[in-house]
Amino acid sequence: MTSTDVRTRPARRTVSPLPAARRARPAVQRGPNLTLGAGPLARTLALAALAVLAVIWLLPMFWAAFTALKSEQDASDPLHWIWPQGGFTLDAFRTVIERGDLPLWMLNSFFIAAAVTVVTVAVSAMAGYAFSRTLFRGRRWLFTVTMASILVPPQLLIVPWFQQMLTLDLVDTYAAVILPQTVAPAMVFILKKHFDTIPRELEEAARIDGASHARIFRSVMLPLSRPMLAAVSIFVFIGAWNNFLWPFVSTSDPALMTLPVGITAVKDAYGVQYAQTMASSVLAALPLVLVFVFFQRHIVKSVATTGLGGQ
Amino acid sequence: MSTPLASPGRPRADRTPRGLGAAVRRALPPGLLFALPFLVLFALFMLWPMVQGVWMSLTDTSLAAHEPSFIGLDNYTEAFGDADMWRAMWNTVWFTVVSTVPLVAVALAMALLVHTGLPGQWVWRLAFFAPYLLPVGVIGLLWGWLYQPDLGLYNHLLQAVGLDGYAWLSDESIALYAIVIATLWWTVGFNFLLFLAALQTVPDHLYEAAALDGAGAWRRLWHVTLPQLRRITGVITVLQILASLKVFDQVYLLTKGGPNGSTRPVVEYLYDMGFTGYRLGYASAISYVFFAFIVLASAVQFVALRRREK
Amino acid sequence: MVDLPGPRAASARPEGNPAALSRRGLLRASLASAAVLLGGGALAGCGSAAAASDPRTVRMWDLFSGADGALLDELIGVAGPDMPGTRVERTVLEWGPPYYTKLAMASAGGRGPDVAVSHMSRLAGYAPLGLLDSWDTGLLAEFGVREQDFADAVWNRTQYRGRTYAVPLDTHPFIVFYHPDTARKAGLLTGAGDLDLDAFAGPERFVEAGRELAKASGRQGIAFGYVNDTAQGWRLFYGLYRQTGNDFDLPVGGRVTANVDAMTEVIAFMRKLVDGRVNPRRLDYPAAIAAFTNRQTGMILSGEWELGTFRAADPEVGAAPFPTVFGTPAVYADSHSFVLPRRPDPDEAHRRRTHQAVAAILKAGQVWAKAGHIPAYQPVTRTRDYARLEPQSRYAVAADHVVLDPAVWFAGAGSDFQNSMSQVLQRAVLDGLAPDRAARAMVDRINTALSQPSPA
Repeated sequence: MTSTDVRTRPARRTVSPLPAARRARPAVQRGPNLTLGAGPLARTLALAALAVLAVIWLLPMFWAAFTALKSEQDASDPLHWIWPQGGFTLDAFRTVIERGDLPLWMLNSFFIAAAVTVVTVAVSAMAGYAFSRTLFRGRRWLFTVTMASILVPPQLLIVPWFQQMLTLDLVDTYAAVILPQTVAPAMVFILKKHFDTIPRELEEAARIDGASHARIFRSVMLPLSRPMLAAVSIFVFIGAWNNFLWPFVSTSDPALMTLPVGITAVKDAYGVQYAQTMASSVLAALPLVLVFVFFQRHIVKSVATTGLGGQ
Repeated sequence: MSTPLASPGRPRADRTPRGLGAAVRRALPPGLLFALPFLVLFALFMLWPMVQGVWMSLTDTSLAAHEPSFIGLDNYTEAFGDADMWRAMWNTVWFTVVSTVPLVAVALAMALLVHTGLPGQWVWRLAFFAPYLLPVGVIGLLWGWLYQPDLGLYNHLLQAVGLDGYAWLSDESIALYAIVIATLWWTVGFNFLLFLAALQTVPDHLYEAAALDGAGAWRRLWHVTLPQLRRITGVITVLQILASLKVFDQVYLLTKGGPNGSTRPVVEYLYDMGFTGYRLGYASAISYVFFAFIVLASAVQFVALRRREK
Repeated sequence: MVDLPGPRAASARPEGNPAALSRRGLLRASLASAAVLLGGGALAGCGSAAAASDPRTVRMWDLFSGADGALLDELIGVAGPDMPGTRVERTVLEWGPPYYTKLAMASAGGRGPDVAVSHMSRLAGYAPLGLLDSWDTGLLAEFGVREQDFADAVWNRTQYRGRTYAVPLDTHPFIVFYHPDTARKAGLLTGAGDLDLDAFAGPERFVEAGRELAKASGRQGIAFGYVNDTAQGWRLFYGLYRQTGNDFDLPVGGRVTANVDAMTEVIAFMRKLVDGRVNPRRLDYPAAIAAFTNRQTGMILSGEWELGTFRAADPEVGAAPFPTVFGTPAVYADSHSFVLPRRPDPDEAHRRRTHQAVAAILKAGQVWAKAGHIPAYQPVTRTRDYARLEPQSRYAVAADHVVLDPAVWFAGAGSDFQNSMSQVLQRAVLDGLAPDRAARAMVDRINTALSQPSPA
């Protein structure tokens, strides 16, 4: 499974996704006695189980950071595999950063993910509005086609996409990486369902004043949709930031690669260096994990509202 | 579906309309104009490649500079007789089976445990969800290192407790499962968050009623929580199956489909045929065979889900 | 972002004026409209980084990591004075099928690097695809590199339809390295300090020598890293198979002619070589290198390209041509060569600069020989300096008996074919697939490959 799949995961009719905030009550308030029981034994067991799971889940990340802080010799020493004989060092990080391509790939990833997010959210919001609030010939039909295409996995389009980029002479350009990623029928669906939930009374006044659709969209619908747009944007951004297959296929020029592609495709000239490999990994993982640490609530909400593709 | 507005107003002419743009605005209903940017992208990067893909699958298009020629259904005939493709198809299905079960079950267990409201909510969520935020390139490097037979952490740990290490990624009989474990670690947090959100929608009064009836923790779990989660569990399972069927990234990065093709999924097979083997036409045919399979699988799941909801 | 598409978007309407727009034009116009959405067409203007780069920079792709990588930097540095004003910018990509896949895709896209390193064995598949531009031999001669500077056998492989598609940098055989002290203790050195190749001449003797080495090292005998490797199994196998005096006859569209018995014999021998007792069983490539450099083993079967790595661990490290185990001398080898990825409209001045840079690099080949490679540009190997190189001069004779991969479109270094063969071999060597069944499985796979239409 690729992390981007979720962006185009299938969605079907059913209730619109309620913003999590509206339906969620703080779990802490409910207290353990409702779901778990108040017994200290149950609590202790649950806590132990959680702790074990958390250790298993945190260990790989911890080990990556730990390895990155060793020297190359210590990282590949089979006898003293825990404590480095030569102490800890930042050499691996220094080498990786000095090589310079990691920051470049980060920049590429950021630019590409931002462009994908802006275009996707903008066109999907407009289309969602069109399908929710306007009438035109073929609307129903177009909506059906859009929904049906949610089933098309982007993985299966890589070959024709590449051929298309050859035809357009766009192989190895940012445009080739970005454009195919901006088609997100699932996001259109989610935003359409969201607009459906906005009461019509709110725009009536503006309409009586003779406001155009553009005006209503801009000054009524969008301001009311900020949390939803934020959720969708976060989701699309994470998907694009971590997307691998299409950026991997569409770029061969290392100067254009994104982070996930670059760190795996381009080798340094000095062979297998585990400490440096882990240093790159830690640096590559850092941006989103840091963002998560600071904006946990928003990201959790984004996944909760968007992750089911509108289910 | 809500009823759309009956009388879409025309854009107000607050500027003097001029040029082609204005002509388009006048000619097209405003609703279509709103949908147009999406529809243009959709037509270009979804419909067009799908049609082009069909055409390519009927030709011998390759990366080579020559003009492709029409070869009818030859690619499809070859694909249906291609043992490697069927093997990749089977690998994909098997991966889907063995990954979906833990990806749903472990996610549910995590969500139930975290939802009990024990202290440290923030830590649990970080621990379980943070891996999902890692770029798959990091997954490839990190798990390649953890699984390294002589220097990797897991074999060291196994040996520390007196067990033999495994050739995690080079033993045909376990490589696929090693990838499933890495996948579980990487993506379970996503399902975990979905379950957590769903748990928060279970109404308190159900628990209160159960508590009044004297139901213990286990009975509340079995008779209140899990039944309430039935629908969302079905949905998450379906989404997980569809996601697992499309596996490529972590397999490609960890084993390149090896050893001996034992982990190669269909998406990698079409990549290998199309780009590594230069045969874009044949790869297109495989794409469509697999697409037909996915549509079929979706239809089956859709019906199953519907039936269960009734 | 809510503004309606600008005027250019209008032309994207298919019902607009279809006659006036070609398919391509239509696509372009539509793309432009997408670009307008992104803000003033900034996106469409985003060319590749190549377009913006310095015209004096020659961008080169290669697959040299490890010790080779560092040495190529040095080589380029030494060649510097011969290419005044030119900067060679290297990109090291992951070796194996990914490298050749990326190279083909980049060439197809026309925005590939200025020059790339490719294995000579890949040319049979590459040149007919139209993914490469040919070298201007006149221009090369102008910079001092002529046909007669190369061995005929090597030069012949650079030709396709009367044009030169590759400029060979080296020949790199698959050989053996050993720790001289361990080998001496095992009684495997001759009086002159060379490896006693007679002690390895025959499957049983080879294994026996491994036993002696294990005794001498106190741990294990001979390392060979192949697990999950996309080429190592094939390298060892094909060289040994050719030593049996047999070859594969590979008619595309037909069926392979091969000696299955000889294949079986070779596979059975390979299995003994990694039995897990005398020799380590489950080594992947880096682990084998570690096993040899840590002195866990006294010998390693390896490409000479690891010389730098080994010498860093053991300055005295010895090397010898791959012993003749099955009677006929044959040493598996390949040749790194320079190729020109296709450019639809190459810039003449820049192509000239590229020719000059490649010629300069060839002429500085003495540096490259330090890595262990045998320079293909013979004026270098004829020098006295070269004769003094240790241990390179000890296996230079290997060049007399080199065999390259079969010249068929699907074979060659980093091909899926090598990978697929190596995986069958791994099953035989590691997972207990019987050698005769493995041989037949290989024949089946070769036939499958032959049955596929050539993409060219």
